[in-house]
Amino acid sequence: MTATALAALFAAPLAVLPVQAVADAWRAPALLPQRLGARGLHAAITGQAGSALGNSLAVAAATTALALLLGWPAARALGGRRLRCLTPVLVLLAMPLLVPAYATGTGLAEWFVRLGLSGGRLGLVLAHLTVVLPYVVLILATGFGERLQELEEMARTVGLGTPRRLALVTLPTVRPTLAAAGLLGFLVSWSQYGLSLAVGSGLPMLPLVLLPFIRSDPQIAAALALLFLAPALATLAIAARASRHQR
Amino acid sequence: MTIPTKRPRLPPAALHRSDRPAVRRLPIAVMLAPAVIALVLLFGGGLAGAVRQSLHPTIDGAGPLDLSAWTAVLGDPTFADALWFSLRTALAATGLSAAAAVAIAVALRRQAALPRFLVALPVPVPHLLVATVAVAWLGPGGLAERALGALPIQLVRDRAGLGIVLVYLYKETPFLVLLLLASMGAELTRREEAAAVLGATGWQRLRWVVWPTIRAPLATGSLIVAAFVLGAFEVPMAVGPSYPPTLATYAAEQPQLDLVAGQAKAAAALLVAAAASIALAAAAVRLSRDRAPCLSVAGLALCLRPVGLSTVGAGA
Repeated sequence: MTATALAALFAAPLAVLPVQAVADAWRAPALLPQRLGARGLHAAITGQAGSALGNSLAVAAATTALALLLGWPAARALGGRRLRCLTPVLVLLAMPLLVPAYATGTGLAEWFVRLGLSGGRLGLVLAHLTVVLPYVVLILATGFGERLQELEEMARTVGLGTPRRLALVTLPTVRPTLAAAGLLGFLVSWSQYGLSLAVGSGLPMLPLVLLPFIRSDPQIAAALALLFLAPALATLAIAARASRHQR
Repeated sequence: MTIPTKRPRLPPAALHRSDRPAVRRLPIAVMLAPAVIALVLLFGGGLAGAVRQSLHPTIDGAGPLDLSAWTAVLGDPTFADALWFSLRTALAATGLSAAAAVAIAVALRRQAALPRFLVALPVPVPHLLVATVAVAWLGPGGLAERALGALPIQLVRDRAGLGIVLVYLYKETPFLVLLLLASMGAELTRREEAAAVLGATGWQRLRWVVWPTIRAPLATGSLIVAAFVLGAFEVPMAVGPSYPPTLATYAAEQPQLDLVAGQAKAAAALLVAAAASIALAAAAVRLSRDRAPCLSVAGLALCLRPVGLSTVGAGA
């Protein structure tokens, strides 16, 4: 009972968002909104906010796909091996997670301006890759253990070729890890602020558009925050389904 | 002569590793190459770009090497305030989250799925969103003030940075709880029972059985939290005071304050933040008493597995 109350303490504050998003008028000291309406939701999906939503979705999806593609072979190499032998690689993977993203982004912006990548989606995808790739490799590596190698060797013994082995053995075995890596990669890119600010040169991205509204217009901020929350909720829902499926 | 239709069955001893039908693999260097090259170019290039920028305090970033941006930043009292404020906030947020996480994890470890799921809720939620929620509840004219009449202390945009610490406490405690719960498996329960059979009291079990198990994941998780708090600036921008700034907000202000050398000063300030993060990491490695740093990095890799999977498995 205490535990549930404690847990509710973490979950409950989020409930203010849907109310504030539809509160056209909510003046102090009232505890409930005076007037409901769709002003905030309308502002959140049109104009600059609307294009920010599109940019954030496109960049997060492309970054995640690219990170999975580049990270897969590296994760295979790291998985199931003694990690100690590969210290330099692991340090390289950990460093982008420790150094402030805004620092890396400021330096990248310097090069991107010269390469003509500044302010475009491609530049943002490359910049986000700096933090998404380490997460994806480290999580994927946990799925590529000795068990998978044994299963693959069994599949080869019974005569499965590489494409069928991948489709029938490898992918089904690592599917939960692959899903976790993909979802976390997407979320890391989706909520990235520092890199988008440094490299985007004003290209609207959801977190960048949301921040000023927190002070100027709480209703629009809440509506944008709900959009911002959607992938996180989807992650939890997919996760809940996946883990039920596994049992 | 008959052709055997089956492979001859070998005695188990003959099945050495080299005799097994191994799946053909690429050399390890080739497999690592795409990710390593991408990271060296992007992360290394980013850091090199920041260093280069800090040494060329001109509008177009050209000209001879010049340390004036560094001397200006290091001699700036605002920068000293920002560094102290950032370190203080990072240590307070991390320390409080870690303490709360240990208490909550110990309370939740034998609980059903629902409380665990509720606690996990803030983990995938972006920081900026937590800041939005914090302003709605705790800001001037917020819900807490309306319900209680007045708050005893100012929590949002206060000079001490309490709002920033609170946002991180709410956001990072569940992250650390997930890490700790993942390390408190059935194996730990068995060892605790063994200790209880040998007559260990509750406190002794916590100190000598539970704590050694959770120390490494707690240290690694706290390190990730501290490094993030030190360098991130969406939360201080949303709920922090206008003075002192954090290192990141100080850097973001520089190009507006100084049109010529502002970019160089920003880069110098951010490199100090980067150095502070790396120093914290080294200290955490020391404190967790891992002799070789690689062990701790390996710990990071292992810790990320529960983050990914238990965020994902939290709904079960």
